[in-house]
Amino acid sequence: MTEALLVLLPLGGAVIVLAQRSRSSAAVGLTVLLATAALASFGALTAEGPVRIAAWREDMGWILALDGFGRIMAVLVPLVAAAVVTYAAEAEAEEGGPRLISWILGFVGAMELLVLAGDFLTLLIAWELVGVCSWGLIGYRWRDPTRPRAANQAFLTTRFGDLGLYVAAAATLTATGSLEYSALGALDGVTLGIVAGGVLLAAASKSGQIPFSPWLFSAMAGPTPASALLHSATMVAAGAYALIRLWPWLGPVEWFGPLVVGIGLATAYAGGIVAALQSDVKRALAGSTSSQYGLMFVAVGVGGTSASALHLVTHAGFKALLFLGAGVAIHAAGSGRMDRMRLGRSLPEAGVLMGVGALALAAVPPIGAAFSKEAIVGAAGHASLLLGAAVLASGALTAFYAGRILLLSFGPEHETVPGEALAVGAGPGGEPSRAEGGPRRGELVGMAALATLTLALSLVWLPGGRDAAARALGAGPLADSAPWELAVSTLLLVAVAVALYSLWRRGSLFALGSTDSIREGLAAWLGLPTAGRLLIVRPVLALSRSLARLDDQVIDAGVRGSVAVAGAVSQLLERWAERGFDASVWTLARVTASGAKSSMAFDDLGFDGFVEGVGRVTGAAGARCRRWQTGLSHHYYAVAGAGLLVLLGAILIWS
Amino acid sequence: MLTASLLLPLFGALIIVFLPKDREPWIRGVAVAAAAAVLVILMAAWLRFEGTGGFELVETFTWIPTLGVGYIVGVDGISLPLAAMTAVVFLVSVAYPVDLKGRAKEYFALFLFLETASLGVFLALDLFLFYVFWDLTLVGMYFLIGAWGHGEEATRSALKFFLYTLAASLVMLLAILALYLSTDPLTFDMAEIIRQRPLDGSGWLATLVFVGFSFGFIVKAPLVPFHTWLPPAHVDAPAPVSAVLAGVLLKMGTYGFIRILLAMMPETFQRFAFPLAVLALVSIVYGALVALAQPHIKRRIAYTSVNHMGYAVLGIAAAGGLLSGAEEARTLALTGATVEMVAHGLITGALFLLSGSIWSRAGTFEIDRFGGLASRTPGLTLAVSVAAFASLGLPGLAGFVAEFQIFVGTFGVFPWLAATGLLGILITAALFLQMLQQIFLGQRPPEWDEWRGLRPVEAASVGLLLALVVLIGVLPAWLLAVIDTASRAFVGP
Repeated sequence: MTEALLVLLPLGGAVIVLAQRSRSSAAVGLTVLLATAALASFGALTAEGPVRIAAWREDMGWILALDGFGRIMAVLVPLVAAAVVTYAAEAEAEEGGPRLISWILGFVGAMELLVLAGDFLTLLIAWELVGVCSWGLIGYRWRDPTRPRAANQAFLTTRFGDLGLYVAAAATLTATGSLEYSALGALDGVTLGIVAGGVLLAAASKSGQIPFSPWLFSAMAGPTPASALLHSATMVAAGAYALIRLWPWLGPVEWFGPLVVGIGLATAYAGGIVAALQSDVKRALAGSTSSQYGLMFVAVGVGGTSASALHLVTHAGFKALLFLGAGVAIHAAGSGRMDRMRLGRSLPEAGVLMGVGALALAAVPPIGAAFSKEAIVGAAGHASLLLGAAVLASGALTAFYAGRILLLSFGPEHETVPGEALAVGAGPGGEPSRAEGGPRRGELVGMAALATLTLALSLVWLPGGRDAAARALGAGPLADSAPWELAVSTLLLVAVAVALYSLWRRGSLFALGSTDSIREGLAAWLGLPTAGRLLIVRPVLALSRSLARLDDQVIDAGVRGSVAVAGAVSQLLERWAERGFDASVWTLARVTASGAKSSMAFDDLGFDGFVEGVGRVTGAAGARCRRWQTGLSHHYYAVAGAGLLVLLGAILIWS
Repeated sequence: MLTASLLLPLFGALIIVFLPKDREPWIRGVAVAAAAAVLVILMAAWLRFEGTGGFELVETFTWIPTLGVGYIVGVDGISLPLAAMTAVVFLVSVAYPVDLKGRAKEYFALFLFLETASLGVFLALDLFLFYVFWDLTLVGMYFLIGAWGHGEEATRSALKFFLYTLAASLVMLLAILALYLSTDPLTFDMAEIIRQRPLDGSGWLATLVFVGFSFGFIVKAPLVPFHTWLPPAHVDAPAPVSAVLAGVLLKMGTYGFIRILLAMMPETFQRFAFPLAVLALVSIVYGALVALAQPHIKRRIAYTSVNHMGYAVLGIAAAGGLLSGAEEARTLALTGATVEMVAHGLITGALFLLSGSIWSRAGTFEIDRFGGLASRTPGLTLAVSVAAFASLGLPGLAGFVAEFQIFVGTFGVFPWLAATGLLGILITAALFLQMLQQIFLGQRPPEWDEWRGLRPVEAASVGLLLALVVLIGVLPAWLLAVIDTASRAFVGP
C-alpha cells in the first residue's frame, strides 16, 4: 500500500491546499512533500513486488512497482519539490500561493505515479497527467494572455509524443494480451520495433529532444518554481526515466540504441549552442536542459542506463538550483536579460549558491555531477571512441555556457569596455531595485537545500562510491571512464576557463562578438519554432478553416439541394397534401373544440379542467399544425408521402 | 420494473397537464421528481442485473400477435448503462434553468414525453416498438427545439433536424420491414431475430438491408458527410435540449449499429466493417478539424460530437471487423465504444448545459467576445475545464477510459486506422485548450464585469454529471464489468 500512498498523499495534499486557500499552504505543501519523501525512502527499503489495483477489470488496472531506479526517483521527486516549495512560499505569495502549491503537489503525485508505473496503462495515465500539470504551471499567470498560449503550445507538443505511448500500449496488448512491461519480453521483430518507436517518440517529446525542444522555451512562461520543477525531477525527467526503465526490453531492437544516441547527441549540441548564445538567463538554462537530457539519451542509447540515471539525479539537483538562482536574479534585475545583471556584489549569498549549481553544470570535479558526466563519457567511449570524444567536446560547450551564465548573472560588476552598456547598473532606477529585490530567507533556504544535495552527491567520488551508486541506482553497473578521458576533460575545463576569462576581460562575454540579431536568431532554437509554425500550425489551422467552409458551403449544400429536389417533387403532391392534411387537422380541432364546449355543461362535476386541458392542448396542436402549412412544411409531406409510397411498394414486392 | 421506468415520465407528464399553469415551481418539481424516480428505478435494475450475457429483466405483453409485434423490453450489458446514462442526463436537463417562454407545462410535459421515448429506444426488444420509440423522439425533439429554441432560425433548424432524421428513419423502416419479412415465423422479436439471423451474409437483400439500416444510424450518430443537420439544431436548441440531443439521441445511432446490425447480421457487418471504420476515421479527423475553426461555442461542441461518435463507430466497426480471432481486442473495442457513448453523454451533456449558463448571462456564443472570465466565475471555469479536459480524453476522466480501449482494441483489427485516429485526440486537445484560453483566461473585457456566479441548481446538475465523469475515469471497474458481459457475448466464440 506504500506505493498507492506515495501517489495519493501529494494528490490529496493538492486538493486540501486548493480547498483551504489559507496562508499556510506552503507549510502544508512542505509537510506533505517531506512525508512523501520519507514514505518513499521507507518503501524503497521494504517494498515487496508490485501492487496491483484492479481499477478497470481483473487483468487491467494500475500496477505500481517500487523497484530499480524507481526507488531513487520516488525519493528524489518530492525532495526537489520540497526545496522548490520552500522557495515558492515567499516568492510567489503575492500571486495567490495556494494555487501554485496545489499544482506543484499534483505534479509530484502524477510524477510518483509515473515513476511507480509497472505497465503501459498506468504509465500513460501518469504521462498525460504530468502533461496537464505542466500546462497548469506554465499558464499559472493566466491573466497575461501570452502565458496560457505558451502553456497550450507546451501541452500540445508533448501530447503529440503521448500518442506514441498509445501506440506502444496498443501494440503490446495486441501481441501479448497484457499491458505489463514484463510482457515486452515475449515480443520481437516488427511489434517490438513499434513499441520502441512509440516509447521513443513519447520520451523525446517529454525530455525536450529535437525536434520537440522548443516547448521547453514556452515553459519559461511559467513562474520560477514551475520552471525549476519542470526542468529537474519532473516532466523532462519522464522521458529519460522511461527509456532507462524500458531499456532492458527495448535495447535488443537493432536501430533503437543508435537512434536514441543520434537524437541525444544532436540535442546535446543544438541545446548547448542555443544555451551558449542566449541573452535570457532562463532560456539559457532551458537550452541547457535539452542538452543535458541529450547526454542522458546518449548514455541510454549505448546501454549505459546507470550513467544516465546518475546524471538524471545530479542534474535534477543542480538544475533546480540554477533556476531558483535565476529567479532571484530576474527579480532583482527586473528582467531576464543577462547583460543587465552582474549581481554578485549586491547578492553574494545567492551568487555563491548559484556558483555551486554552475560548477556542477560545468562538471567541475569533485562535484557529483562531474562524476555522472564522466560516467556518460565512459559509457559512450566504450561504445565508440568517436562518440566518447563527441560527448567530451559537448562537455566543453556545457562548461562554457555554465560559466557564461554564472559570470553574467552573478559575476562582479566591471567597467572595462565602455561600449557595453550596463543599463540597470548605470540607471538611477536600477540600484534601488537591487536593494529591495534581494532574495528572501525562504528563497535562500530552498537554494541552500538544493546546493547541499548537489554537494552531497560528491560522495560518489570516494573509493567504492562507484559500486555503491550503481547498487543504489539499481540500473546495472556504472561505466568507468578511462584515465585519459578524465585528463582530457580536465584540460578542456582549463581551456574553457581561459576562454571565459579572456572574453570577460574584453567585455564581450554577453555579445560574443556577434550582433544581437544573428545571435538571437540562432538562440531561438535554430529556427525550429518558426519551422513548426510554418510547417505544422499554420497549415493545420488553414486546413481546418477551409474544411469548415467546405462543410457549410458544399456538404450542407448537397443536403439543401436534395431538399430542393424533394420540394419540386412535392409540387405534384401539394394539392393533395394541402387538402388532405389541412382538412383533417381542422376537423380534429373543430371536433375537439366542440367537445370541449359541450362539456362545459358538466362544470359541476369537475371535469372541465380535464377537458379544457385536452381541448387547449389539441387546439394548440391544431394551431401549430396550421403553422406547418406555411414555409417548408410541404417538404415534410413530400418526404413522408414518398416514403409511404416506397414502403407500400416494398411490402407489395416482398410479401 | 423497466416498464415502470417508461411509464413514470408519462405519468409525470399527465400530472403536469392537470397542474395550474401559473404554478411553475410545482410543475418543475413534478418533472424533476419523475425524472429522479426513473433514475432510482434504473439503479435498482442495475443492482438486479446479473450479467449473463443475454437479455435480462425482460417484460413481455402481447400487443399485435397476428403481425408478430409484441411489447418486449429488457436490457443487456450495453443497453443498461445507456439507459442509466439517459436517466441521468434527463434528470439534470429537466432540472436545469431555461427560458420557458411562459409555457412551463408544455415544456416539462414534452420533456418527460421525450424521456419515455428515448428510454424506450434503448429498452425495446421488439423491432416495431424500437421504431415507434425512435420516431417519437423526433417528434418530441422537434417541438422542443422549435418552440423553446433561441435565435430567429429555431423553427427552421428544428425542421431541418426533423426532415433529415425522418428521411433517415424512413429508410430504416424499410430495412426493418425487409428484415421482418425474411423471418419465419414472422416476428419483430429481436431475440428471436438474433437467433434466426434470417438475413446474413452477402446476398443482395442482406446488403440492401444493411445499407438501409446503416444510413439511418449514420445520419443519427451522425457521421460525415451526413452530419450537417446537427450544428444548426444545437445552435438554436435551448441548453437542456442540446444536452439531451447530443447526450442521448445521438447514441441511438451507435446503439442501433450494435443492437441490430452487429447482433443480427454479423457476417454482412464483417464485409462492411472496413469501409465503416474508414468513415468513422474520417469523422474523427474531419469533425475535430472543422470544430477547431468554429468561432461559436455551441457549434464547436457540436462538431466535437461528430468526432466522438466517430470514435464510438470505429470501436464498433473493429468489434465486428472479424468473425473470429483477436477476441480480446474486439471485446475491448466494443466495451470502449459503449463507454464512449456513456462518457460522451455525460461530458457533452455537461458542456452543453454550461454553454447554456454562459448564454443566459452573456446572450452570445461568440468565443472571441469573451476573455478572462476565470477571475469572475471560478466555479464555471472549473466546471468547463473539467468537462473540456474530459472531452479531450485526459486520463482520470471518463473519455480516456473509452478512447484508450477503442484505440487499443481497434489496433488489433485495423492497426493503421487506429494509429491515424489518434490524431483526433491531438486536434481535440487543441480546440478545447484554445477555447478555454479564449473564454476564461487572459484579459477580461469590461462588458463582463458583472457576471453572476453559478446558481445552486446549475452547480448541482453539472456537478452530478462531472462527478460521474471522474468516478468512471478513476475507477471504471463497476461499469466495465457490466458492459464486458455483453461485449464478450457479442465477440465470443
